[in-house]
Amino acid sequence: MIPLNFVTQVLLCLLAVVFVLSLLITGIRGVRTFRQSRRRRIAAPVRSLLLELLCTQEHEQSELLDHITRIDKQTWDALEPTVAAMLGKVSGKSREALVLLYERRGSPAHAVADLRSRNAARRGRAAQVLGLLHHRSAVPSLCRLLDDPDREVRSAAARALGRIGDSVAVPHLLRSLHGARTVAPMAVTAALASFGPAAWSGVAAGLRDPAPLVRAVAIEVLGVTGAIAHTLEIVRALREDPDTEVQIRAARALGRLGMPDGLKPLLAAVRPGQPVALRIVAAGALGSLGAATATPPLREMLDDADPHVAGTAARALLRLGPAGQAALRDAADERLGVRATAQARAALAEAAAGGLRHDVVVEVTL
Amino acid sequence: MIAAQVELWEGVQGTLHGLISLCDTAIILYFLAINTGHLVLNLLALTEIVTRLRRASFAGYEDAVEGPFTPPISVIMPAYNEAAGITEAVRAMLLLHYPAFEIIVVDDGSTDGTLDALTEAFNLAEVDHVVPEDVPMRGKVTSLHLPRGGPVPVVVARKDNGGKADALNVGINLARYPLVCMVDADSLLDSQALLTVAKPFSGDPLRVVATGGVVGVANGCTVEAGRVVEARVPTDVLGRVQVVEYLRGFFLGRTGWSRVGGLLIIAGAFGLFRRDAVVAVGGMDPDCIGEDAELVVRLHRHLREQGRRHRDYRIVFVTEPISWSEAPSTFRVLARQRRRWQRGLTEILLKHRRMIGNPRYGRIGLVALPFYVVFELAAPLVELAGLVLVPLGVLLGAVHTDFLWRFMLAAYAYAMVVSLVSMAVEEYAYHRFSRWRDVWGAFVGVAVENLGYRQCTAWWRLRGMWDAFHRTPQVWGAMTRSGFGPQGARDGEDQL
Repeated sequence: MIPLNFVTQVLLCLLAVVFVLSLLITGIRGVRTFRQSRRRRIAAPVRSLLLELLCTQEHEQSELLDHITRIDKQTWDALEPTVAAMLGKVSGKSREALVLLYERRGSPAHAVADLRSRNAARRGRAAQVLGLLHHRSAVPSLCRLLDDPDREVRSAAARALGRIGDSVAVPHLLRSLHGARTVAPMAVTAALASFGPAAWSGVAAGLRDPAPLVRAVAIEVLGVTGAIAHTLEIVRALREDPDTEVQIRAARALGRLGMPDGLKPLLAAVRPGQPVALRIVAAGALGSLGAATATPPLREMLDDADPHVAGTAARALLRLGPAGQAALRDAADERLGVRATAQARAALAEAAAGGLRHDVVVEVTL
Repeated sequence: MIAAQVELWEGVQGTLHGLISLCDTAIILYFLAINTGHLVLNLLALTEIVTRLRRASFAGYEDAVEGPFTPPISVIMPAYNEAAGITEAVRAMLLLHYPAFEIIVVDDGSTDGTLDALTEAFNLAEVDHVVPEDVPMRGKVTSLHLPRGGPVPVVVARKDNGGKADALNVGINLARYPLVCMVDADSLLDSQALLTVAKPFSGDPLRVVATGGVVGVANGCTVEAGRVVEARVPTDVLGRVQVVEYLRGFFLGRTGWSRVGGLLIIAGAFGLFRRDAVVAVGGMDPDCIGEDAELVVRLHRHLREQGRRHRDYRIVFVTEPISWSEAPSTFRVLARQRRRWQRGLTEILLKHRRMIGNPRYGRIGLVALPFYVVFELAAPLVELAGLVLVPLGVLLGAVHTDFLWRFMLAAYAYAMVVSLVSMAVEEYAYHRFSRWRDVWGAFVGVAVENLGYRQCTAWWRLRGMWDAFHRTPQVWGAMTRSGFGPQGARDGEDQL
């Protein structure tokens, strides 16, 4: 049996903990409320100046900038979150004014120094700020940060590099998809896509990478950014790449690029025997290409055993113009199999209602 | 003869005394263990929350809103007799901040004009349809409806009544995007909800299989246009207790489990899944009353049986406050809810009993499931046994009165400590409740929870277990909802 004395002591300890926790909860709330009101009070006079800075003409900005630059550290700390939030939302002269304000306050230099901080949150925030400021000289440091031990920091670095838009970072971003410390593929894709045509040759180099993920990302970026000069390389990937995910991305990219060179490989990709996910995406891409010559194979696919393949083919036919629509109406009149009739009717009915669900991506992996 | 009888009686009394003393000690230790378990989960959750909070400022949500690479989502909303609130719910969903998503409403044979309400609100047209059978469906889809002429991403399917799980399966089959989000028709989502819950998929797309979001108690909150604009702790005691309970169990408990890779429950009110993973395991189980949790356990089971280890996949709980649901405001409805929950848990544990204690399933089999068996499944039994055996022990002299009242107070204080830690973490991290009045209200909830409420829920849960073991027919019953809009009270079914 547990000794009575022990229970009494435990009881007293627990009551003390209850009391301390109650104090802690009210304390946390009290301190936060106090800090918030103090911050509001301190920032209020300068916030109006900040808004004025954003709205005023260029020649009048200088005086306001001088004024805001001279504010003490406490006031700047209270104002800085507002400035950071605005920086991501404004453009043109207003943005330039905010960047200038940051530079005069010495923030970029602090942020670059913070990239080497032992604190992960500090490194991530620094990367974010440098990205927002489009601080080009930070690119080498941000490239190093792509190998940071913290996953969120790596992603923040990739996003920052995308914002800065210096294509020097392209090979680093592609390399960041390798190894144990990979950067999230979506962050890399978005960053590479934001570089535009300047990065095409660097991105296309990724098509020869041994890692399927790198090849997939490179193809996705080339497709999204309209790199028609690299169509043939993407066609080769669709035909020859051993990885299905890469082939899927290639099919989708060819649909986006809309070049006639994509037609033949896409027609080959929709044939029975190919992976279902590839057939679905390739069928959708044929619809995007809009080539009437794709009508017969797509019409055939209406009777496919896989409803996703057949459904995508039906919706692709609708996008091929009169020839495709005629083929659908034919199928709807029960001239093909039962499955084809149902799919054709569904697609035509959706089109008639105006709510066509053409972008079927159900089987596309993330 | 009499002396022998007395001796026998004394022997029996001694044995009984010893047994009851042993049981009482076991109950005391159990009570300590269960609260310590919750405390450990709370502390694990705290580490996770601190990590996330420190990274929130550079999490990249703005980029996700604008980015063409954010994975599109099919939001599946099963509805049964939700005519009063369905249009408001769909409109609120359409306003979510997310670059690409569709809403699939599955009307599970409603009899109150749910479909008519949607047809009128969104100018729906019935269209011919083909529903793929990627996962099995019981109720036949009788019609499919799309908005006329507009780019509104809403699809409404009408099917024969088959229950929530079956309606979800229809939604999964109709979904065209790689992620499916399952929400209740009465869930109130914050505008950032999809962004928040999809973030782990963007950050770690090769491993994340499912994510769940925090569900808060909407009672007492100010709701405008289907959004909680001001979170408040309800004024009634029942609501206050549930707020604390949700904080401790659903917010911090699940965050703690997620931290150690042992998350077993993603609430049906708001969860996001890879569609291909859900299809691979056969969709929702229409025979299980707790189909949401059952799906998560089945995903774990499937992935482990495929040879994937703990580090090869992730089922994540997102800590940011994002979804709100109306909690029962009467004991009658609460009783039914808890009975159903416990029945669901029992059915899941029975169905997947092979996983319990099985090293093949890693920490799911060795830690998470045994925890649920000992501290969730058995809890009502032990608590009610304690209510009987401890006073009996006092009567028989096996437990001293002095010891009893001190122990009862200590147990009460320990349970309060666990709840207060939850409150402190919430206050530090998200401080959703803005008024001081809400803090006092939550304190009342903490103080009152162990005075009758816990004992009542133990009884209802015991009845839920009984239902599961005896396979009594699944009776869902009607749930009276107070509602949030100006229309006031509305009735619905708590089936969905």
